[in-house]
Amino acid sequence: MNGLLRGYGRGLVSIFFGAVMLWAFLLIILPQFVMLERALTKPKRQLDSSIAAQLERDAANCVAILAQFQTPVDPEPENGGMAVPSASGMAVPSASSMAVPSVSGMAAPSATAQTRPYILQCDRSTTRKRMVRNEGIEEWLNDLHDLPLLAVSDDQPLEDQIATAEQIEEIAAALYQDLLILEANASQLGLGNFSALTQPILIPLSDTAKAEEAGKISNKLLGAAGLRYVENGEVYARIPMIILVRTLVFALLATALALVVCYPIAFKVALGTPPEKAVWLFLGLIIPYAIVELMRIYAWTSIIDNSGLINQALLWMGAITEPIQFKRSALTVFVVIVYTYVLFMVFPIFNVMSTLDRNQIEAARDLGASTWRLHWRVIIPHAKPGIAVGCIATFMLAAGAFSVPRIISRGLQAEWFSQTIYNKFFESENSNIGAAYSFAYTLVCFLMVGLFMWIMRTRLKDFARVQ
Amino acid sequence: MRGKDVVLDGVQITYPNGFTAVHKTDLRIQAGEFFSILGPSGCGKTTILRAVSGFVEPSHGRVLIGDADQRGLGPNARPTALIFQNLALFPLMPVWQNVAFGFEARGVSKRERRAKAEELLSLVALSDQAGKKPSELSGGQRQRVAIARALAVDPAVLLLDEPLSALDLKLRQHMRAELRSIQKKTGVTFIYITHDQGEAFTMSDRIAVMNAGRIEQVGPADHIYSNPHTAFAASFVGEANVFHGLIAQTQQDFAQIETAHGAFLARNPRNLSQGDDAILFVRPEAMLMDTAENKMVAHLERRDLEGPFVNMVMRTETGAPVTVYLPNTGVAAAITEAGMHLGFRAESAVVLPEGALARTGTEEMAAQ
Repeated sequence: MNGLLRGYGRGLVSIFFGAVMLWAFLLIILPQFVMLERALTKPKRQLDSSIAAQLERDAANCVAILAQFQTPVDPEPENGGMAVPSASGMAVPSASSMAVPSVSGMAAPSATAQTRPYILQCDRSTTRKRMVRNEGIEEWLNDLHDLPLLAVSDDQPLEDQIATAEQIEEIAAALYQDLLILEANASQLGLGNFSALTQPILIPLSDTAKAEEAGKISNKLLGAAGLRYVENGEVYARIPMIILVRTLVFALLATALALVVCYPIAFKVALGTPPEKAVWLFLGLIIPYAIVELMRIYAWTSIIDNSGLINQALLWMGAITEPIQFKRSALTVFVVIVYTYVLFMVFPIFNVMSTLDRNQIEAARDLGASTWRLHWRVIIPHAKPGIAVGCIATFMLAAGAFSVPRIISRGLQAEWFSQTIYNKFFESENSNIGAAYSFAYTLVCFLMVGLFMWIMRTRLKDFARVQ
Repeated sequence: MRGKDVVLDGVQITYPNGFTAVHKTDLRIQAGEFFSILGPSGCGKTTILRAVSGFVEPSHGRVLIGDADQRGLGPNARPTALIFQNLALFPLMPVWQNVAFGFEARGVSKRERRAKAEELLSLVALSDQAGKKPSELSGGQRQRVAIARALAVDPAVLLLDEPLSALDLKLRQHMRAELRSIQKKTGVTFIYITHDQGEAFTMSDRIAVMNAGRIEQVGPADHIYSNPHTAFAASFVGEANVFHGLIAQTQQDFAQIETAHGAFLARNPRNLSQGDDAILFVRPEAMLMDTAENKMVAHLERRDLEGPFVNMVMRTETGAPVTVYLPNTGVAAAITEAGMHLGFRAESAVVLPEGALARTGTEEMAAQ
């Protein structure tokens, strides 16, 4: 600190520290807090108040639609039957966000005023509404808030129906206001979003498919891990958890493969080649790195496509009659991930290895060490911080890979967890669960990195050697 | 532990880029001998060492250790151990594991190699440092760890590549004695590479003087010092005043040389004949002030105190630089810049054929 002050002066040092603090706050601490807060907050549409609001909307719509049937309807529409559906569609002025599918052309021909067709909004207009609660807990709106049991039933006269609906609307509106105030004053934090991660999901399967699936080793493994079970003859799987575990396992394997591939390369370039030749090897490593990641990934499609290089070659040779569906194989995603992120493994290892005094290699050889022992006792211990950095970088990149599974699989195979998170945020608009997933995932990855460092006996200060 | 003979039989080493680092060399190093190869940097002495240890295969000729041809044997298969200039201790292993590395490579059990390492560490008086990392040791201690580590593989020949060059003067002097005593105790053949003649002189049984890939002279230190065989040996080993000239006449073991600074009489061990180009070498300590022989007139330019003696840097009236060592007994103080008579006895000077000289300090500076 004193050294910094002496070297750069008070002004520069305070600017530097200010920038660092700002960065740490804006890009590290704040996003995690925002994520955590979101993750702990119930999705809005699960709140009691939104149930009440929905009920109010439904009842209002029901009233509006029922009003249609009260007004005398022209039995002979001028434009023929075709005009009616559009007219009736227009006739719903309350235009809630929901469509009004029930008021279709069906309504007009049945001009009988007393009976009405099925109306979704009216069907939903009842005070006996089930609340969104955790699994196994059953609560109803009327019980919870002491409401009269009201429902719009279609066998009553239309006027009564409208009156009931209006009453429901009134009650719901009042309840909504009360609940809004209550909810605004109460903490809405809970771990419900996180439990979505382990939520079992029913897998609808035919009996033959069930028998077939039960025999698979992967499913037996999932069963042993508690991620898949059969209850009352139905198959349940904890899909998000399965995706999470599967992604982590693949990321670990990709890291291991990258390490196995990169260690000899880094050794060859750093220590096994005279410097003037190493330049060429180095160039060979840099060039793929200089291509945009998307291009690097996309280039693979020309190889693995159904009409890609491999399939064309195999077809031409007559080895296969149907193209192999590489896009559907998780192995392809795995290979491309290794290719894409392999350089994050090579360079840290290379950097550390090139700082090894070559005399140490000669000394070990001179003392009779075999190649294996030379690596195990001299080179790997020296390169360990680089290996750790490379493994951490590759693991985190592989675990967070989004573009590779997306471009390579094109939706034809199971998601990677980063895709699941993306979909929660941007496809299903359930950002609270998305936040819970991503926070949990960050935590798991962080723990795995910590565990890895502990196993490797790497301390943070060792990383200073990696540059 | 017993030393073995090392024989270089017509060894020539040419690198793939065509540079011949070592020209055809025949050399016999006796078992149990402390043998030094002395030469300036880049003369090929390290290459010879690497050829003996097995890191470099000779292009021609063969290396024999204890009469066994070493061709095709890697460094791990030869009965040699190398001590590197920077020692190349394994920084991440504690001292005892460094020492035990040779045992480890031979598959000795952990308990046994720990015991053996302790034994070797006590030989170099480092028993209490076994658990430390090399970086926690002093320069001299690291040196001794390197020696213990090399001795662990029970080598017949220990090769040392300027291992003392990183130490300061006092420690270096101490380590010389220590190396010598370890060599005596173990009886291993030591081949010691250095550019420091002080090291070579104090430790070696015999010395080879090497220049530009060739061994110029082999012999005991004092023999090389007083009877240099070539101009290079005379100029590289010790200080010498140099006069170029022509042989005017010869008489038995002596020759008269005609130089730009006068005619001098000196020993003629190479039997030069009249008319040959020659160089006269005379050591600064052989210069005398009151003698009738080989006289010249010089005046003082500078006086450098070396401690036990005074180094008088002088110049003759004809412009030749002359160095005179005077014992530091007060004689030197009396000498002023005024011209004075210098001379030397013919027995203490030598004429040798014209040839490459060792680089002077100025040339060395320009080259590096």
